Amino acid sequence: MKITKSLIILLVLIAAALLPILTEAYFISVAITILTFMTLAISWDMMLRTGQLSFGTAGFFGLGGYTGIIAVADFGVDPVMGIVLGGLLAGGVSLLLGMAILRLRGLYFAITTMALASVFMVIIRNLRKLTGGPSGKIVYTTLFNYDSTKVYWLMLGIAVGTIVISELFQRSRIHFAIDAIRADETVAKSHGVNIYKYLIFVFVVTSIIQGVIGSTYALQYGFVYPESSFSAHYLLLPIAMALVGGIYSTIGPVLGAVILGLSSEYLKLIMPYGHLIIYGVIIVVVVLFMPNGVYGALKDLFGIRKRRLEER
Amino acid sequence: MESISFLKKHRNVFLLIAVIVVVAIWKPHAAIYGLQRGSLYSLVGLPLSLTLGVVGIMNLAHGDFLSLGIYFVYLFSTNLGMDPLLSIIPVFVLLFLLGVVIYKLTVTRVLKSGHLNQLLLTFGISMILLEAMNLIWTSRPRSVYVEYSSSSTTIAGVRFGTYELLYVLSAFAVLIALQLFLKKTRLGQATFAVGQNPRGAKIVGINTGFVYLFVFGISVAILGIAAGVMVPRFAIFPSVGAAFTMKSFCLVAMAGLGNLTGILVSGIVLGVGEAIVQSIPGYAGWSDIVFFGVLIAVIMIRSLRRQSL
Amino acid sequence: MSILKVEKVTKRFGGLVAVDDVTMEIRQGEILGLIGPNGAGKTTLTNVISGLHTVSEGRIVFDGTDITFLPTHKRCHLGIARTFQIARPLKNLTVAENVMVGGLFGNGEKLKDSRKSAIKLCETIGLAKPNEALDKITVLDIKKIEIARAMATKPKLLFLDEVMSGLNMDETREMIDTVRKIRDTGVTICIIEHVMSVIREITERVIVLDRGAIIAEGPYSEVSQQHNVITAYLGEDA
Repeated sequence: MKITKSLIILLVLIAAALLPILTEAYFISVAITILTFMTLAISWDMMLRTGQLSFGTAGFFGLGGYTGIIAVADFGVDPVMGIVLGGLLAGGVSLLLGMAILRLRGLYFAITTMALASVFMVIIRNLRKLTGGPSGKIVYTTLFNYDSTKVYWLMLGIAVGTIVISELFQRSRIHFAIDAIRADETVAKSHGVNIYKYLIFVFVVTSIIQGVIGSTYALQYGFVYPESSFSAHYLLLPIAMALVGGIYSTIGPVLGAVILGLSSEYLKLIMPYGHLIIYGVIIVVVVLFMPNGVYGALKDLFGIRKRRLEER
Repeated sequence: MESISFLKKHRNVFLLIAVIVVVAIWKPHAAIYGLQRGSLYSLVGLPLSLTLGVVGIMNLAHGDFLSLGIYFVYLFSTNLGMDPLLSIIPVFVLLFLLGVVIYKLTVTRVLKSGHLNQLLLTFGISMILLEAMNLIWTSRPRSVYVEYSSSSTTIAGVRFGTYELLYVLSAFAVLIALQLFLKKTRLGQATFAVGQNPRGAKIVGINTGFVYLFVFGISVAILGIAAGVMVPRFAIFPSVGAAFTMKSFCLVAMAGLGNLTGILVSGIVLGVGEAIVQSIPGYAGWSDIVFFGVLIAVIMIRSLRRQSL
Repeated sequence: MSILKVEKVTKRFGGLVAVDDVTMEIRQGEILGLIGPNGAGKTTLTNVISGLHTVSEGRIVFDGTDITFLPTHKRCHLGIARTFQIARPLKNLTVAENVMVGGLFGNGEKLKDSRKSAIKLCETIGLAKPNEALDKITVLDIKKIEIARAMATKPKLLFLDEVMSGLNMDETREMIDTVRKIRDTGVTICIIEHVMSVIREITERVIVLDRGAIIAEGPYSEVSQQHNVITAYLGEDA
C-alpha cells in the first residue's frame, strides 16, 4: 500500500515538473495560478486546524508582494531574494500581531485578521514615497524576466514545499498539540500543551508562506497596486478551495484548488463578470450541506473506516 | 453620598462629555465631525451588538447588508422619486424580510455547529452580497442629491454641516427605541432573557427560535435607517458598507456584550478619535486605521485582565 | 511531608465566593478525599490548584515551588494532573492518541516512545482497543481514557473528579483497584467523590467543603459523624 502511494506521488510530481515542456503558455499560466491559490488554500487550512479562523491570507499576500517589489525596485535586490524578504516581513508582522491578539483568539482573532488587508492598504496608500501610494509601484526586473517555465518551476517548488510542511505538521507531535487545542483547549493546557506558543508558531509559519506566495506573484508581473494586491480574491478563493476539497487535511485544499481552479477557467468563458459570486455560493453550500468537502465525501463513499470522529 | 454614586454609575457618560468638551475647545471641527461620524458608527453598531448578544453569532455580512440597504434607498429615490429619508420605511421592511428569509434558510442550520461554521457561513453570504451588488450595479459610484444635505450653520465662529446631525439623532433614537423595546415590551423582555440565558429562557417557555429570527431580521432592518440617512451624503458603491462591519465589531469589543449605551459612547469616542487624527496636517489619511489601533488596544487590555466578550 | 500547600486561598467570581479562605495541605503518598455537598466548591478548588482559575487571594505551593501565578500547562509539567467531572475526551483523536497527548506534552516524550507508552498504559488500565475512534465507547472506557491521559503526564499529584459516578458495582470495584494501583506507583491522589462507600474504603483522610469553606478534616469514620457535616449534606433538621 505504501509503495503504491509513493509511486503515485512520484509520478504526479514528474508529470507536474514536465508540464511546461509538454504544453503551451496558456496552460502554464493556468497551472501557475492554480499552484498560487493551492498554496494559499493549504496555508489557510493549516491555521484552521488549530481551531482559529484567519481571514488574513489576502493581507499577508499583499504585504509579501509589496515587500518584494519595494526590495527589488528601491534596494536593487535580486527578485528571488525579494521573495525571501516578502516571507520574512510577513512573518515578522504576524509575530507581533499574533502576540497581541492570540491571547484572546476566537472572534477577536478572526475579525482582526479580516481587517488586516484594509489596514495594510491604508498604510501603503499613505507611505507614498516608499510604496508608490494609490497608484502602485512598478519594477522592471521581474522574476526570471517573464520566463514562465522558470516561474512555474519555482511555484511548483513552493507548492511542494508547502505540502511538505503541511504534512510535517500532520505527522509530528505538532499534529497532536494542534488537534488537542482545536478539540478542547482546557484539556490541552491541563495536559501540558502551551497553547499560545503553538498558535503563534502556526500563525507565523502560515503567514510566511502567504508572504512568499504574494511576493512571487507580484514579482512575476513586476507591479503592485493597493486594490489588486490585497484583493479579496486571495481570501475568498483559498477558503472556497479548502472547504470544497476537505478541510483539516493537506490533500483537501490541493484537490479543491485543482477542481475549482480548472472549473473557474471554464466559468470565466461562460460568465466573464461576476463569476466570483459562485465562490461565495460554494462556501455557503459546503458549510451547510457538505462540511467534509470532496475528500470527506470520497472517504465515506469508499467506506474507508473513518478513524477519527471529527468534532467541529 | 447620593450624588457621588450617581456620578460613579454614569462615570463613562460624564467622561465622554468631558472629553467632548475638551476636544470642542481644542479642535471644534473635530469635535463636531467626530460626534456626527461617531454617531453613525453607533447607529450601525447597535444592531450588530444585538445580534451578537442575543443570537450569539457574528454576522460578517453586516456591512454588506448596509450597502444593500443603501442601494435600495438609491432605487427608491431615483426610480420612484422618493425622498431618501422617507424611503427608510419601505427599505426597513424590505431588509427585515430579507434578513428573516436568509436567517431561516441558512443561519438556523449552523446555530448549533460552532463558531467556525457560523463565521464561514456569514463570510460566504457577505461575498455573495458583495459580488451580486458588483454584478448588478458595477463599482461605478453613484449618488443621490437632496438639497438639504448640504445645509450648514455657524456657531461661535465655527462653521459645520447640519445634515449630519441626523446621524446623532437617529443613533440616539434607535438606542432609546431598543432600550424601550427590551424593557417594556413582552417580546423585548423575552429577547433580553434569551440574551442573558438562552437555555433558561427556553425552559420557562420562551420561543427562542422566534426571538432569534426576529432579532436577526430587526438588526438587518435597522441598517435600513442608517442607509437612509447616509445616502444623501455618501458616494454609493458596493463596498461602501464593508468598513462598517469591522468598525462595528470594534465598538462591540470596546463596549462589551449587552451594553447598548456603551455602543453609543464607544462610537462617539471612535468618531472623535478619527476626527482628531484627520485634523492633523499630513496625517489625515491615517484616520482609517484608528479603529484598528483601538481594537488591538482593547484586545490587549482585556487579555491582561483575562476578560473576553 | 506535604506535596501541596494551599494557604488562605479565596476564589471569587464577581460577587460569588466559590472558595472561601481555604487552607489545607496534601501529604505525599496519601489518598485524600475531598467531599462536600453539590456546589461546595470542590471542582472549583481543583481548578484553582490545577491552574484553570487564578486565585483571588492566597498562595499555592506545590512541591516547594510557589505556583500561585503559574500558567496551567506549566503546573502540569511540574506534576499536577487532573481528570474532569464531565469527561472530556478529545473527539478528533483515537483512544491511544488521547493518552499520547498527555505523554507528549505533560511528560515531554518523543513521538515514538509516546506511542509505545500510551498503548502500554491502555493495557494496564484495561482499555481494549487503543486504535479505535471515540464514537462507540462506554462510560467506563471514557473515564479510563481520562485517567490514562492524566497518568501519561507522569504526575506527582493527581486529582480524580468524580470518577465513580455512573459506574455499576463491578465497575466501581475495578476503579477502586485502579486507584490503589496508581497510588502504589508513587502518585499522591486527591479524590473528589459523592459515593461515600468508596471514600470510606480508599481514603485515609478527608476534607469536607461546604459553600466554599472547609468545615471538617480527618478520617472519614470521624468526620462522617460530625454534626455540621451531616447538616451540610442533609439540611438543618437531619
